[in-house]
Amino acid sequence: MKLLTHNLLSSHVRGVGSRGFPLRLQATEVRINPVEFNPDFVARMIPKVEWAALLEAADTVPKGPIEGYEHDEKFLRQMHHVLLEVDVLEGTLQCPESGRLFPISRGIPNMLLSDEETET
Amino acid sequence: MDHEAAQLEKQHVHDVYESTAPYFGDLQSKAWPRVRQFLQEQKPGSLIADIGCGTGKYLKVNSQVYALGCDYCGPLVEIARSRGCEVMVCDNLHLPFRDQGLDAIISIGVIHHFSTKQRRIRAIKEMARVLVPGGQLMIYVWAMEQKNRHFEKQDVLIPWNRALCSRLLSDPSQPGRKPCAHPERSHPYHPPCSVCSCSVCFKEQGHSQRSHSMDYEPLMAGTCCTGISKEGEEENGFYNTLGKSFRSWFFSRSLDESTLRKQIERVRPLKNTEGWANSTISIQPSRHSSLDLGHQEPLSTREQSLDEDVFVEASQKQLEWPRAPATRKHLRGDQQGEVRRNGDGNFLEDANTSENCVNEDDAEEGHPSASKILRRISALDSTDSNSEETIPVEEQQSGVLDSRAFMRYYHVFREGELYGLLKEHVAELHVLSSGNDHGNWCVIAEKKDNCD
Repeated sequence: MKLLTHNLLSSHVRGVGSRGFPLRLQATEVRINPVEFNPDFVARMIPKVEWAALLEAADTVPKGPIEGYEHDEKFLRQMHHVLLEVDVLEGTLQCPESGRLFPISRGIPNMLLSDEETET
Repeated sequence: MDHEAAQLEKQHVHDVYESTAPYFGDLQSKAWPRVRQFLQEQKPGSLIADIGCGTGKYLKVNSQVYALGCDYCGPLVEIARSRGCEVMVCDNLHLPFRDQGLDAIISIGVIHHFSTKQRRIRAIKEMARVLVPGGQLMIYVWAMEQKNRHFEKQDVLIPWNRALCSRLLSDPSQPGRKPCAHPERSHPYHPPCSVCSCSVCFKEQGHSQRSHSMDYEPLMAGTCCTGISKEGEEENGFYNTLGKSFRSWFFSRSLDESTLRKQIERVRPLKNTEGWANSTISIQPSRHSSLDLGHQEPLSTREQSLDEDVFVEASQKQLEWPRAPATRKHLRGDQQGEVRRNGDGNFLEDANTSENCVNEDDAEEGHPSASKILRRISALDSTDSNSEETIPVEEQQSGVLDSRAFMRYYHVFREGELYGLLKEHVAELHVLSSGNDHGNWCVIAEKKDNCD
């Protein structure tokens, strides 16, 4: 699971609504996957990122998009690495409101809820 | 009610895909051109989700977008992951995304696996929720109106024969990859194995126009098959007979909420829940019985009854089908040949497509459910219980399981139904376009501003 994916994920446990975002990430196994750097692609992603969630999930992240980021290759490369190359293979995603844990195994988050946890 | 719907989907969607997933591992299939186009038209840097992605065939169509695959079926998601896709396991009805995070979503051959209108609406509304305003959603569902086949009802169980597929996969004569439908969905998957045998088609071997790829409607094949059909019709020949009885196999039963409730009450005594599903299935016998096999009377009698156990019908068909044994032998004998031919395209698949075109979940080439039924007939032939008396579902059930038939639930859509569903029940979406593609009703809709 990439950190850009994590940035989109929210808990949908019944009743938590928007308080289910962001999920607390605990990674026990991480791999770095080289991905071809595409500055245009990364630049377009930046405005879509929920920065606070990203900061929670990743250590080495700038506090926010810097001015003129679209042309700042160093910045873009750093974001490229964090968003697209860090791959969480094993770990958990925790709902900040309910505490419910969603597992990540072999790089795949399992976001299925049990019957009781979803609406009646 | 919702619980029963979920149960039905568990048995006849999720469990089937989960069980059949291993067969899809090596099989590659192509994307529908129109879906590819939709994906390629998305702006670079878009965040896109394929809800019901199966093995992820659409996830790499556009390298300039960030594509996430979601599916209910773990095994299929694993396959997608192994191909380098970014995927997760989740439920279309409870998407694990924050509101308004995605630029585009595709739902190809998914919604038709939801067994109630309410659940279908919920699935669409969930996808609308996670779209940004202005974001687009593309939905493909099987059409009830098919060119070469006729669904009598909208709620159907389509069988799939695993046995043949495994045979194919291990067949050494098989030239590399055989195109097979890939299951996809938050629910959906396709039945692999499009091989079926048709003695008539074998005769048409010389037909070099078969370019039956997974992408396209088998127009060429249709040509071949049309020829066969015509011939059949004129002579009241085997193929025509075959086709009509295949049609009768598309048993279906309305699964509107009230009916579903009744069915559930009726079948409670059955301990075998698989049997439950089957016993609610009605058979749609052919009305134009050119089944001139000398047993027309019983057949027409059965036409009146919509609650016959399908496997009783199966047995009946065998009895009434003098050529069935020959067909069977022919089938087996030609297995190798068929498989080889499937390297170029699918023979009987082509034949059956013209007759009983069934578009699989993600709208792959029409898979010949008819052919699968034929195979099942063959398998069942070995059972002894061939009589007109009602056979207990459990007995029949074992016959079915032996033949490895899985049945998947579909609600096939009428023209305008999908459009109407969005228009009346999903106010947050504005329909941009709708149409028919390869036997699917498709809609592209846009998330309205200031909604949700």
